[in-house]
Amino acid sequence: MSILEAKGVTKIFGGLTAVKEVDFRVEKGEIVGLIGPNGAGKTTFFNMISGFYRPNEGDVLFNGSSIVGLKPSRICKLGMTRTFQIVKPFPELTVLENVMMGSFNHHARSADSRAKAMEVMELLGLAERAGELAGNLPVAGRKRVEVAKALATEPEVMLLDEVMAGLTPAEMHQMIDTVRRIRDTGVTMVIVEHVMPVIMSLCDRIYVLHHGEKIADGTPEEIVSNKSVMEAYLGEDFMIEAEGNA
Amino acid sequence: MDYLKNLRPLHFFYLAALLVLFTLPLYAESGFVTGLMPEGMDGSALLHVMLMIFFFGYLSQSWNISGGFAGQLSLGHAAFFGLGAYTSSLLYVNFGISPWVGMLAGMAVAGTFGLLIGLVSFHYGLKGPFFALVTIAFAEILRLIIQHLAFTGGPMGILIPLMGDSWWEFQFLAKEPYYYIALFMMLISIAVVWVIANSRWGFYFRAIREDEDAAEAIGIDITRYKLLSVTLSAAMTGAAGTFYAQYTQYIVPDDLIIVAFSIEIVLRAIIGGAGTVMGPIVGSFIMTPLGEATRIIFEGGGAGISLVSLLQQEIPAGEKFSQYLDYLAAGGGGGLAIMLYGAVLIVVCIGMPRGVVPWLRRRFGRYA
Repeated sequence: MSILEAKGVTKIFGGLTAVKEVDFRVEKGEIVGLIGPNGAGKTTFFNMISGFYRPNEGDVLFNGSSIVGLKPSRICKLGMTRTFQIVKPFPELTVLENVMMGSFNHHARSADSRAKAMEVMELLGLAERAGELAGNLPVAGRKRVEVAKALATEPEVMLLDEVMAGLTPAEMHQMIDTVRRIRDTGVTMVIVEHVMPVIMSLCDRIYVLHHGEKIADGTPEEIVSNKSVMEAYLGEDFMIEAEGNA
Repeated sequence: MDYLKNLRPLHFFYLAALLVLFTLPLYAESGFVTGLMPEGMDGSALLHVMLMIFFFGYLSQSWNISGGFAGQLSLGHAAFFGLGAYTSSLLYVNFGISPWVGMLAGMAVAGTFGLLIGLVSFHYGLKGPFFALVTIAFAEILRLIIQHLAFTGGPMGILIPLMGDSWWEFQFLAKEPYYYIALFMMLISIAVVWVIANSRWGFYFRAIREDEDAAEAIGIDITRYKLLSVTLSAAMTGAAGTFYAQYTQYIVPDDLIIVAFSIEIVLRAIIGGAGTVMGPIVGSFIMTPLGEATRIIFEGGGAGISLVSLLQQEIPAGEKFSQYLDYLAAGGGGGLAIMLYGAVLIVVCIGMPRGVVPWLRRRFGRYA
């Protein structure tokens, strides 16, 4: 049984089909990438599996049972959480207090929640900044806080929405390292990302969306050599021209 | 012992303030204290002003739970206040039930009304200004209903008969018992909010205020916690209604359940710092004396002038302006207070947009 599975999920906004009959499955312990050009439906798809949108058709299974119609908070309690592309830590709260927002998910008492938050911050290299105001952190630090907050809810599956956006190459390397370390603790991850080298080096498998449809899935090697993926990214005209030159 | 080590200057300040507040009635009438006060004020007026500071501090602190921490901007808290006042007063006048019991009943009624407003608003996903409008609408509806019902006394309100000077009746001839009740209510509200701020509830309320989607994603059932904040806030506000009814012994819908009163409550929290534990209290210590003291000092100061006749008079502009100030001061006593309110609001909005307490913390946090 896959830990997370989407079966033919479709989302229609008015007359526009944003996501069309996408099948998707994630096995325990994997890092799965989700890529596609702008407007491909990645975020819509993400919102459906995390409970923010309800699919018009299809089903989403988490650990074998349907989570369609459940609130995101309920899904988080079951063991799946997400981060947001635009990170908004509470600026006038400390890093520790920000991360505690997440660790309260499974720890009702402040002291327990604080202990869990410290543990997560240790793993993510945030421990020495625990007392700093989150608003004083640079972008990379704030992204880290966002990931820490999600990890502190103690999820089985984490959905990361563009955690690399806005980072310098050096910071990206650190973040890649962090994501791997999180995976090593047994957390399964789905990442939406624009930065191709990151996706290629991190992911075990990749799904490609284009115009709301899944056009390919496979290992990074399979994806880079996939013709329809190249078409989707580069445009058909360019493909014909490239073939003509060859 | 650890606790003693953690004592900071701010704690000593609080301790000193508590000492002064608890002993103030003992020397309010002394020459030293009255000598410090503006002309026209005596010890009894001082106690009244202090009592109103506690009363508004309590109200604003109650609002702070839902409005400050959870970010649900209610402009209808006067409704919860009115429900508390009417519930205990009706129980007292009709059935002789002690206002203390009535206070609990009033809290239940106000809390239920808050829950109802929350259920309706959050079901339809109303946020921010739209939630604020709904709370105003509910409060207005409630006022109209109370005005048109016979058993609530209609527009004439309820006059609470003097049944005796006793704690059971919640009626006193002296100001001191009211002073201490108001002080205790304010201290309890600070304690409640302090506990909330440092617990899961407080963290979740703030998370919801900042970003509802992000809060949901980390496992916070936002509807549940928003309802919790509004219900708790409404119930606490209801208790203040009972206090007010017993203190003034007369309640009318036009005084109680009006938007202006809701704004008085909200204003203190915003000035002091919404979403902080001491903000509403500091706000009340700043704003309440402005309203109360100016009313006492200027009452009757320039009575008998009408604005039209003043503007038609052929006198120098400077004199006209000073007479205009008199006019404002005389206009129900609240005119000048409103001007001062406006001035303070402008200063705070420009200089301390998050309120006085966060501003103080940023400037002097290292000394505290």
